[in-house]
Amino acid sequence: MFFLNLSLFEFLGLLSTTSAVVFVLYLLNRARRRAMVSTLRFWVQAAHPPTTQRRRRIQQPWSLVLQLLGVLCLLLAIAQPRMGSPERSGRNHVMILDTSSWMAARSGRGTLLDEAKSLALAYLRTLAASDRVMLVRADGIPTPATKLESDRGVVEAAIRQSRAGAAALDIEQALEFAANVQRLNGAGGEIVFIGAGRIPAREGPASRDAAPAPANLRVLKVGQAAENAGLRKIGVRRPAQDPGVWEIFVSVRNYGARPFTAPLSVYYGGAPAGSVRVQLLPGAEQEATFQLRTQSAGWVEARLHTQDALADDNRAVIELPEQRPVQVEVYSDSPDLLRPILSANPLVEAVYRAPASYTGQGRGKVVILDRFRPAQAPSTGAIWIEPASRVRQTVSKASITRFLRDHDLCAGLRTTAVQLESARVLTLDRGELAIAEVEAGPVIVARPATPRAVLLGFHPGRADTRYDLLTPLLFANILRWLEPEAFRNWELHASSVGAISVALDSGVDPERVQVIADDQQRLPYTVQGQTLRFFAGTPGTVRVITNRREQVYSLTLPQVGETAWKPPANARSGLPSRAREYLARDIWQWLAALGGGFLLAEWILYGRARRTRRAPQPLAARAAMRQAS
Amino acid sequence: MPAAPLIEQSFLEKLERLTLQWQRSFPGLVGGHNASRFPGAGQEFLDHRHFHHGDDLRAVNWRAYLRLEKLFLKMFQVEPRIPVRMLIDASSSMKTGTPVKFEYVQRLAAALCYIGLVRLDMICLQPFRDGLLDSFLCGGGRHRFVGAVNFLSELEASGRTDFLQVARQFAGGYSQRGLLIVLSDFLDDRDAEKPLQFLADQGHELLLVQVWASEDREPGWEGELELTDAETGDRMEIALDEQARLDYTAAFDEYTGRLQRMCQRTGGRHIGLPVTASLEEAIFGPLVRSGGVQ
Repeated sequence: MFFLNLSLFEFLGLLSTTSAVVFVLYLLNRARRRAMVSTLRFWVQAAHPPTTQRRRRIQQPWSLVLQLLGVLCLLLAIAQPRMGSPERSGRNHVMILDTSSWMAARSGRGTLLDEAKSLALAYLRTLAASDRVMLVRADGIPTPATKLESDRGVVEAAIRQSRAGAAALDIEQALEFAANVQRLNGAGGEIVFIGAGRIPAREGPASRDAAPAPANLRVLKVGQAAENAGLRKIGVRRPAQDPGVWEIFVSVRNYGARPFTAPLSVYYGGAPAGSVRVQLLPGAEQEATFQLRTQSAGWVEARLHTQDALADDNRAVIELPEQRPVQVEVYSDSPDLLRPILSANPLVEAVYRAPASYTGQGRGKVVILDRFRPAQAPSTGAIWIEPASRVRQTVSKASITRFLRDHDLCAGLRTTAVQLESARVLTLDRGELAIAEVEAGPVIVARPATPRAVLLGFHPGRADTRYDLLTPLLFANILRWLEPEAFRNWELHASSVGAISVALDSGVDPERVQVIADDQQRLPYTVQGQTLRFFAGTPGTVRVITNRREQVYSLTLPQVGETAWKPPANARSGLPSRAREYLARDIWQWLAALGGGFLLAEWILYGRARRTRRAPQPLAARAAMRQAS
Repeated sequence: MPAAPLIEQSFLEKLERLTLQWQRSFPGLVGGHNASRFPGAGQEFLDHRHFHHGDDLRAVNWRAYLRLEKLFLKMFQVEPRIPVRMLIDASSSMKTGTPVKFEYVQRLAAALCYIGLVRLDMICLQPFRDGLLDSFLCGGGRHRFVGAVNFLSELEASGRTDFLQVARQFAGGYSQRGLLIVLSDFLDDRDAEKPLQFLADQGHELLLVQVWASEDREPGWEGELELTDAETGDRMEIALDEQARLDYTAAFDEYTGRLQRMCQRTGGRHIGLPVTASLEEAIFGPLVRSGGVQ
């Protein structure tokens, strides 16, 4: 026999405290009964006056005994004693159902998950009716689907509603979660893992097989040898040497135990854009590269033409963004000086106009004002070349002695031997930065305040600087600084959900990185060195935006575990035999009724119910009648 | 909803054969059913006495005069008509008990009244508390029983008991001696013994019917008690145990014994009735055995 709710110490403590209170109340406050009598004349000579001495002993010991018995029974009912041993009472089982992406693999007539559901339902039927079961759906994160539930209908419904997810199984986290649940709730039964147990390959030398597992683990494995090959990831980016081309990298892996051969095709807008045949040894991974020249937006689909166990990883789709050139309006009397500079950048679409046509209402994103001072300053980013109003002095044969190298406008500028035939030293207003200076003062000034502007104290198209490396780099930096959105590098990836690692460019400020999900919510991330890490548990699109680069992760591919988890040797396997109905029985209802009966009897015999009179005694009355007559 | 009758018809039929009896000889007019030792206009010879001037010549024993030449007068036994009076205690103490003593007394009074009416006795129902209340006189047959029952039903118990005052008023109000039935618990603060002795000395024959509830004689309580006197409202706090209960019963029995001895001294009768005894059991038991009813 054992107590379900209280320990023996708690029970004895409660019993002794309650009994002491009842005993003291008996001594201190036995309610004085009131009675109406015909006369007091006989009481005066018969009864004793109440004294304190009398109150110091129990006047109605059987009443006290009945009350103590009632208290004892009620406390026992609260403690819920059960016949049998604790091991045989209702136990708490945690059922881990593998809902990783691999469970969607076909197996026989259904999927691996269908097999696992059948096993889970069969296991449920082997449990005793008093046992409680918690269903935990395990993929990348263990998610409890039910609480510890004794209602089999609820658990069975949760099992039937389980669907395969997109993440790989994290078996260690699931087992740790189950162990914590059992530790917190006590009455531990079994931790049952039901599934294929395909886990990602562990990074590092340690093997997951050696991870400690609970001693009460039971493993019901399904689908041991399913053949599958699938897309692992897709990367799309524009090469630096040819911004009009998308380079598409498709990675394919063979998860099966046999060599794999199948055609891999890439489609753009539904039309074939390339195809290769991949040949993979078991466990091998191969990457195929395709090129696609387009500036318009569209869908790129990679498809592996095979009929393997898991169909979800045979196809992936990435949406390509449209590449829009930057509209630049040039107001110059000598546009030929600037035309070579602007035409060298394929992302720039320049329009040349005479200064007289300036209205301030242009459609260009960037305005270049060549030695021209308009009446109305442009409302967009502007490049002022030799502005007449800001000239402090004019110098000739001056060398640029200093660049503000930390600024984006000086990115890549390493030269210090730039000779200017003539240049105008500019004045520096409040909030403006001197990007490049000669001895006499700044010759390149940047105004970070919106609208941004860059003032050049020399003409970059003149002969002295026209053929210098400084000119195209400086103009490219200026245009990127004025219109960063248009010059941002795009990288698109199709991969699986889970933990994603992103390599950052050098010099990226971690605090200026944005990781944005589909719903425009910012995802938490960590930056360690040059690597950014974030976690996405559900399929979708995540954008990682740094200063010059935007990487789009289309997390639509399932994360497939590469290796099979090997359960520990001491883990039980297979379905257990049907449990006998345990001997443990609830008797608290009877104890509660008995306790209430004791208290009721005490109330009837000694309480208010008896204040009036004892039950009539006919025999005694007749005797008295005979005696009196 | 009509009130329950005091006595069932079937029980009244059982009472038909009974008669109220008294032991004393009372003078009175012919018409009763108990013989008296006082001579009168009866049919049955009782004795002779010397003739006195003015005696009725029809009662002279002429045969004895012829033989002895002396006038002797024949005396005849008479069965006089004697008033039966019932003193009914209507004090607050009668409201106690289970069943209530007063209800029991009402029914008992009705039964005795019916017995008397059947035998053509003159019944006077006289309730009392600390004095005599309005009485009800009935006689001449059972058809007067309805009025008596109505009178008894309308009685209510309240107030205190004062037997001394009752005895004084009774002695002053009722000069003719007769049978006096007292239905009470006799639980006055003062002894009822002396006032009743006074009434007996006045020539009344006492039939004391003492009614008690179970707790009047054997209280069933135990422990700390707060008792309230039903008549005076006085309160008393006591601690009652088995010994105290025995002492109480002994005191009660001792008081009852004194009433019994007083009745024996005065030629009366004392009957103790617990309210738990049925009315039929009381009448055909103690009352019949005592000779109060035959």
